[in-house]
Amino acid sequence: MNTVLIIDDSDINLTLIKALVSKLGECTPVLFDNPLRALDWCRDHVPDLVIVDYMMPDMDGLRFIGAFRALHGRTEIPVLMVTANDQKDVRYEALLGGANDYLTKPIDRVEFSARVRNMLSLRQGQKFLADRAVHLAELVDERTREIREREKELIFRMSRAAEFRDPETGAHIQRMAHYSQVIARGLGLDAKAQTLILEAAPMHDVGKIGIPDYILLKPGRLTPEEFEVMKGHSRLGYELLKDSGSETLRAGAEVAISHHEKYDGTGYPKGLKGHAIPLFGRIVAVADVFDALTSERPYKKAWPLEDARRYLEDGRGKHFDPLCVEAFLAGWDDALDIRQRFTDEEIPMI
Amino acid sequence: MADPFVLNKKSILDRLGGDEDIFAMMLEMYLQDVDSNCATLAAALASGDPAALKREVHTVKGLLATFSDEEGAAEALAVEQKAKYGEVAGLERAVAALQARLREVAVVLGNELARLR
Repeated sequence: MNTVLIIDDSDINLTLIKALVSKLGECTPVLFDNPLRALDWCRDHVPDLVIVDYMMPDMDGLRFIGAFRALHGRTEIPVLMVTANDQKDVRYEALLGGANDYLTKPIDRVEFSARVRNMLSLRQGQKFLADRAVHLAELVDERTREIREREKELIFRMSRAAEFRDPETGAHIQRMAHYSQVIARGLGLDAKAQTLILEAAPMHDVGKIGIPDYILLKPGRLTPEEFEVMKGHSRLGYELLKDSGSETLRAGAEVAISHHEKYDGTGYPKGLKGHAIPLFGRIVAVADVFDALTSERPYKKAWPLEDARRYLEDGRGKHFDPLCVEAFLAGWDDALDIRQRFTDEEIPMI
Repeated sequence: MADPFVLNKKSILDRLGGDEDIFAMMLEMYLQDVDSNCATLAAALASGDPAALKREVHTVKGLLATFSDEEGAAEALAVEQKAKYGEVAGLERAVAALQARLREVAVVLGNELARLR
């Protein structure tokens, strides 16, 4: 149903135009004998066609069109200006001032119907295009969501592949990723950054794919030479991910190369110090170590939570960024919930 | 002085696509509004405001044209043009003639409406 706004200070013209519009079918006429009241109505309603007389008290048709076009979202609505036969100059001005077409008085039904139908067709075309644009935008959003979900799944599975090669479990990457998110939140990072670290943190050890089994799976203590090879997993992970077109994978590269750096500069691979270490690396360092301490491994028992907490506190300013430790401890209850949620027996997706 | 008004029903109905219902409705509305239109015209003249007079005469012009009264509409156009250039003084007779024309047309349209009923 098309809403046709008709504005004319003459009752007889209003009634005539209303009758002609009603005969077209599929149209609901809305009548105003005062252009200012019509303009008020237009602030809350969007007509499909405006038919406006030229000569009216308070505001003539040209000024009405100008004011109507200035309202948000009304620039494309078709407007028909009604003018007398002798007002050629007004018709020119109307067409230049935003009217799409004009009607001459006395109104002729054949001409009127044809012009109104043309204007309504134009409007239908606009609506169709607008609806299609909305539909396409929704489709793009939906496909983007699907791609994002697939990307997240691939990242998780890639991270799991690396974890399969050492004694750590799938639950470890889930827990440390969520601990990282807790820290990011505690540091006041925005929701986008929190999500980014949640999705990037699982890739911290992906470079272990490139470490030989005899070192990665060695039951005993590593020799200094073997440890040097082991340390290479930071750079390997970085090299694997660094040039990705995905923001998440690039964040993963940053996490991979910086999560073994220490705040006092004694970490690896670059021995970066303090805030020279990327923030995501400083965050993941706390999350990764806490989970490693509080998890059972074939070669060690899980530390009591309080001992692990104390370890983090003692490591402030040495191993860890003090602010990251504070943020983690501030979210302690959330961390305990995460620990409950992701046990080593069950590995839900992120 | 214009010739007496003669209703050209065919030309009006042609414009209305032959719709007798709309035609009858327009006759009714004209008859309802004619007193008010005459009064508004007089008030606009009395105000001495050329813009107000121009606007009201323009409305009358459209009204007469709607009923195919070309001569009446031409008289209205002449008054409208003068008002447009601010020449309000001396228009009393012309405005009175327009009022008379409106009433003359009303009589003819009233007869037509009576016939339709």
